[in-house]
Amino acid sequence: MADAKVFVDRVKQMDGVSGCLLVKEDGALLGRALDDVETYTDLMVFAAGLVEDIMDKVGFSYCRYVSFNRNNNQTFYIFPIDKYLLGIVQQADCSVTNMLEQVYQLIGRVSTDGAKTVS
Amino acid sequence: MIQLIDELKVIPGVIGACIVNSQDGIKATNLPTIFKPERLLAVGKHLLKLYSAGRVSFSDLTDITLNYDESVVIARELEKNTLVFVICDPTFNHNLMTMSLNLLQEEYKLGNFSTEEMPAVASTQPPQVDTSGKLQDLLEEMKGALGKILGPMAGFVFDEVAEEWAEQGAPHFSRIEGLIDLLNHEISEQDKIDSYRQLVAPMLKTFQEG
Repeated sequence: MADAKVFVDRVKQMDGVSGCLLVKEDGALLGRALDDVETYTDLMVFAAGLVEDIMDKVGFSYCRYVSFNRNNNQTFYIFPIDKYLLGIVQQADCSVTNMLEQVYQLIGRVSTDGAKTVS
Repeated sequence: MIQLIDELKVIPGVIGACIVNSQDGIKATNLPTIFKPERLLAVGKHLLKLYSAGRVSFSDLTDITLNYDESVVIARELEKNTLVFVICDPTFNHNLMTMSLNLLQEEYKLGNFSTEEMPAVASTQPPQVDTSGKLQDLLEEMKGALGKILGPMAGFVFDEVAEEWAEQGAPHFSRIEGLIDLLNHEISEQDKIDSYRQLVAPMLKTFQEG
């Protein structure tokens, strides 16, 4: 659990990230750096199931992320990481490409064994 | 309606698009035939649910992007229960796509398209839960109870499961345990399954007693 919090803190410090949270695929909260988490956790779990179904139906192999794009430009992203889901609220005015690159880089270095390890 | 999405296909990286309505099924598509209508309809229905769920959290939601390894799917609501989704190569131009979807949405609202249907595709609409009277009331109560277990997304989950249940046989009280089994599968956690059983037990009893 402590490592999940470290992971969340690391994501929160990235340029372009306004807030973030990490949940297990069943919605259990592991770490957060934003308010009103329930709004996000329910959506994350629900979306993850549908996105996987769509993946199976069309024949895609892997979902990198789902984004909910908003008029206020604070896009909400869901990144499936093994049995976990990382949610990120983007800052309204930021380089999205740069933010996504940083997130990919971190996700690529994370081992999710037991949701404990952050390299 | 097809001309609306044909204009999207001109954008570099766009494989094709599809307009889907929750009741009428597929209204138009120009995706390659490898994307079977049944699958497109299933994808469209999932996207409609995803969009509705997104709206619960974000009232100013514009569109949804699903970024897969091979392709990107972008969904935009055109009106309630109708959305367009576009399947693109990951290298597509996001800004150009957003602009094109804005224009498409405007044209759709203005009704600037012919309304010819796609009968073969529209006929693939899955059966709806066709119940009446008391059973419908019971299902509504059960849906409400599920909300206490699964939270705000319960309504979507219940509707989806009830639809699946109706596809498996006539929606009749004699098959209600089958519906509960399907819901239990979605709830997945045993303590929550038990709680849901406790919530619906009196409802089922009242129904049986007439």
